[in-house]
Amino acid sequence: MNPEFLDADQKDALQEISNIAMGTAASGLAKVLESFVRLSVPRISIVETSRVAERLSTTLGQHSEVSAVRQAFYNQMEGEVIVVFGEEGCADLADLLDYEADGPEALKQELLLDVSNILVGACMNGIAQQLQSQVSYSPPEILCSAVPLDRLFAGHRPTCEQALLIEIDFSLEARSFSCNMLTFFAPESFGTLRTSLARFLESL
Amino acid sequence: MSSELNDSDLLHFAANRIEVGILAVDRKMRIVVWNRFLEAHSGRSASEVVGRSLFDVFPEVPRPWLERKVRSVTVLKNFSFTSWRQRPYLFKFRHHRPITGGIDWMRQDCTFLPVMGGDGEVIAVCITILDATETCLYQTRLDAALAVIAEQSVRDALTGVYNRRKLAEQLATEIGRAARYRRSLSLLMLDIDHFKKVNDSLGHLAGDEVIRHVATVASKGLRESDCFGRYGGEEFVAILPEVDAAGATVVAERMRSAVAEAPAEFEGRSIAVTISVGVAEVGPEPRTAESLLGEADEALYLSKKKGRNRVSLRDSARDAHRG
Repeated sequence: MNPEFLDADQKDALQEISNIAMGTAASGLAKVLESFVRLSVPRISIVETSRVAERLSTTLGQHSEVSAVRQAFYNQMEGEVIVVFGEEGCADLADLLDYEADGPEALKQELLLDVSNILVGACMNGIAQQLQSQVSYSPPEILCSAVPLDRLFAGHRPTCEQALLIEIDFSLEARSFSCNMLTFFAPESFGTLRTSLARFLESL
Repeated sequence: MSSELNDSDLLHFAANRIEVGILAVDRKMRIVVWNRFLEAHSGRSASEVVGRSLFDVFPEVPRPWLERKVRSVTVLKNFSFTSWRQRPYLFKFRHHRPITGGIDWMRQDCTFLPVMGGDGEVIAVCITILDATETCLYQTRLDAALAVIAEQSVRDALTGVYNRRKLAEQLATEIGRAARYRRSLSLLMLDIDHFKKVNDSLGHLAGDEVIRHVATVASKGLRESDCFGRYGGEEFVAILPEVDAAGATVVAERMRSAVAEAPAEFEGRSIAVTISVGVAEVGPEPRTAESLLGEADEALYLSKKKGRNRVSLRDSARDAHRG
């Protein structure tokens, strides 16, 4: 699946921009968690929104149950970010942040919301800054809590057929915690994204 | 000149009058801004609180948590949010439903925004507070309604025990679990003896009462992890995880004698009731729900054939067929 609406240079540029933004996100998370954060190379693709859950089972298949946080961004670029956490990692993260691992459910959720917010804020601010674009955010919310992977989007119907997806995996050195950040750009943003990338390439 | 509108004055006016709480704290957690919404809900005026530590004025605010939140905003120069769903409120404010609300304090959604100084460092954190009480009330009502629907969809209307749908679902889950972890699992199938006679001689209402009575008596004393439900007509099923055939026979025998010893009551008269029970156990080989139910049914048939009001086991059922 190749995002044919971007040419090779634009795709490379977006990958590089994401890489830089994610680096900032990772170092932000590292500061808060006081632990080294590893991240994968961003994978960029155009996806059929109805098949996202199915697609995720290849990267997240090792987790029997997942929790996820959803956050929207809007303004000049528009989309939604979904951060997916494996259940095993949640307890580990709670331990790192001095939350009780078996504390109340609300506390665990707050923890996931905070971590997602750090990742989303750092990453989208990074992308927007490099593309000289404005972006605003909705508050993060729990999309699902401890459900089998195929129930990730249960009860949510996709708004659009296709989206541009930037996929990144975060993990912590020497810890079992990991999460996957899925940034979906809505089709309405494709035009802006292409223009911004062209401008970015010219300025190099 | 003085009568002309200035946009920064207007923004100031709006920020002060908007139905949203707006405050700002400096890096030492001293209050810098306190708008009218906050004055109205806290009963503390801006002149009273500005310049003072937030924790001195509001000792009920969870200090370590808020300090961590503000530090994260300052260090990362990134906004942050809290929702009433996880943290019901930041300040103990009264809400606008003193009579009809049914909850203690105003539910609040908060946003934390870094305020940058000229050198690009964070000099203050601005906090906005949205009254989410109404949303919370609607969500709570919706959750309660959904819980009722979910509960009703698994209950038998006549007896209140689980229905056939729930039994099928639970049996599939338990068979899977037993196979995965190599644990015991047994199944009981119960049938009310001579039920047709009760119906024919005393009428359907008496029949209903007998079914209800048996459901109550037979399900008494089961464990939390057991699942008891009405399988159909006058037939019931009990799913017993972590129980082998011998244990299940003991449970079944207890049910049988409990029902035999406690007659049903209908319109002042006492109706003697007995049940027949069939026991089946999941062995080491993989099983389907159908085959397990079939086996319990076979054992139940044996109980009926032997004269009713008794418990039979799968193995003896097989022996009987051989014989």
